[in-house]
Amino acid sequence: MVGFGEMVERERVTTAPAPVIVGAGSAVYERHPGVERRTETFIAEAVVAALADAGIHKNEVDGLGIASFSLAPDHAIDLTWKLGMTVRWVMEDSNGGASAINMLQHAVRAIEAGDAETIVLAAGDRMEKREFHLMTDRYNRVARDYLAPLPLNGPNALFAFLTERYGRLHGLEREDFGCIPLAQRAWAGRNPAAVYRRAMTLAEYMESVPIAPPLTRFDCVPIVSGGDAIVVTTPERAARLKGPHAGVRAIRALHNHDQQEGDGIHSGFAQFRDDLWAAAGARPEDLDSAHIYDDYPVMVLVQLADLGVIPDDDVKRYLHKTILEEMWPVNTSGGQLSAGQAGASGGMHGLAEAVQQLRGTAGERQVPDAELALATGYGMVLYTHGACHNAAVLERRGG
Amino acid sequence: MSAPFTVPKCSVCGHLAYPPRILCPECGANDWTRTLADSGIVTEVTVRRPVFKRRQLPWGNWLDQEAVRLAAVHAEVGERSVRIIARVPEGVETGDRVTLVAQASTAIALPGQVVEAAPERASAAPAPAAPEPAATPESE
Repeated sequence: MVGFGEMVERERVTTAPAPVIVGAGSAVYERHPGVERRTETFIAEAVVAALADAGIHKNEVDGLGIASFSLAPDHAIDLTWKLGMTVRWVMEDSNGGASAINMLQHAVRAIEAGDAETIVLAAGDRMEKREFHLMTDRYNRVARDYLAPLPLNGPNALFAFLTERYGRLHGLEREDFGCIPLAQRAWAGRNPAAVYRRAMTLAEYMESVPIAPPLTRFDCVPIVSGGDAIVVTTPERAARLKGPHAGVRAIRALHNHDQQEGDGIHSGFAQFRDDLWAAAGARPEDLDSAHIYDDYPVMVLVQLADLGVIPDDDVKRYLHKTILEEMWPVNTSGGQLSAGQAGASGGMHGLAEAVQQLRGTAGERQVPDAELALATGYGMVLYTHGACHNAAVLERRGG
Repeated sequence: MSAPFTVPKCSVCGHLAYPPRILCPECGANDWTRTLADSGIVTEVTVRRPVFKRRQLPWGNWLDQEAVRLAAVHAEVGERSVRIIARVPEGVETGDRVTLVAQASTAIALPGQVVEAAPERASAAPAPAAPEPAATPESE
């Protein structure tokens, strides 16, 4: 019998998938959009921006994947119609923070198999008070029936528990966790699209409004409306487009690894770490940047540690020295913590930023000679913590 | 409206699953009983401030939001345990042993339940006819 937590040993595929990400684009993130700016508006703006970045006309697109919490009653096919596309491949993904890399995992195989040649993957949400509460209270049946009535009011309290737990395990205080929002705010200062760009001091962080102690306002993502998109195609078509591009070296995923019975700080990432790096033919120390799903600082640490990016698991040193002092590139857009979380677009945000770094289009925040990037997805709190984990290793190709 | 807190238990292998699942994650059976899980240890506590000060309920009216004290509780049933998210009264802290009580939701009429964790001493006394209810946001 295979107990949960154990993985059935499978034949490992170590050849790098060939498809290439040739463009990335975003809708401008907004805190309080006008009523005329709907979820489809943000997704469409991101699609248009990504196609323009790639140099591809919408008539050349034959696959569309969409992730959104608030698109209902529309679906991906409605957007296909409204964007004037005709596609051979369509998908809709419901996995929140893990939706972008999940769609990429499917898109890569679809392109390799010849089901489609050029796929646009887009995510976005109009996220105001009403949409936020609809999303969190009806996130799933358990949230609706067991958490919303507490009232939980969104996942902040659950991640306060995980932060407390992780801090206890690694001897971390608030000023240690604060290195992540402080460093990401510094990166956001170089990103004109981030909603919070003003430099933040440690004192400001320490004195910020408590939301669910130990979490304060700066540990929680600002809720915004927005959208992000990428364009994936064959190496043959990519060769005819202006590079460099982002090649997909490896993608690995693990969902519901612990049946929500673990502590939430020993994540599914640890279980596919070795497989991911082996498939990518790389080591964590080869990375030039990391784009880690940052719903809360604690989850950035859990993912970096479980994916082997933090040397010797010395979390405290990594926080102060590598992230804050050296500003080693983690979440160079400012991440969701400073650029904002636009619903399901949160999952696409880091992936789109990774693509921009590898394409050399990241402007003031460009990492010099960016050749290898890690992007992760995490999310879907079923009861106590997120169930979905995935990660992609991307490399600069061509150009 | 409160009742002793119980959790689903697999009739075949004894695995505890809260909230309820369909197939047992351990043995795959679909045959559940319920077992009392009224005692636990608080592993973490927080006071959750509302994300927005007011909120609109699905049927349209607006409700003022208040802070609520919440805890992660490690409920113990024999040698097995299960993690519970519960509402706790003022004064309950990390490390406290608590008594878990199930409450039908009154704020929103839904089929789930709210778990209240009261300090152990509340239940150590001889069972009162009408137990002192745990502090709830509604009563604040």
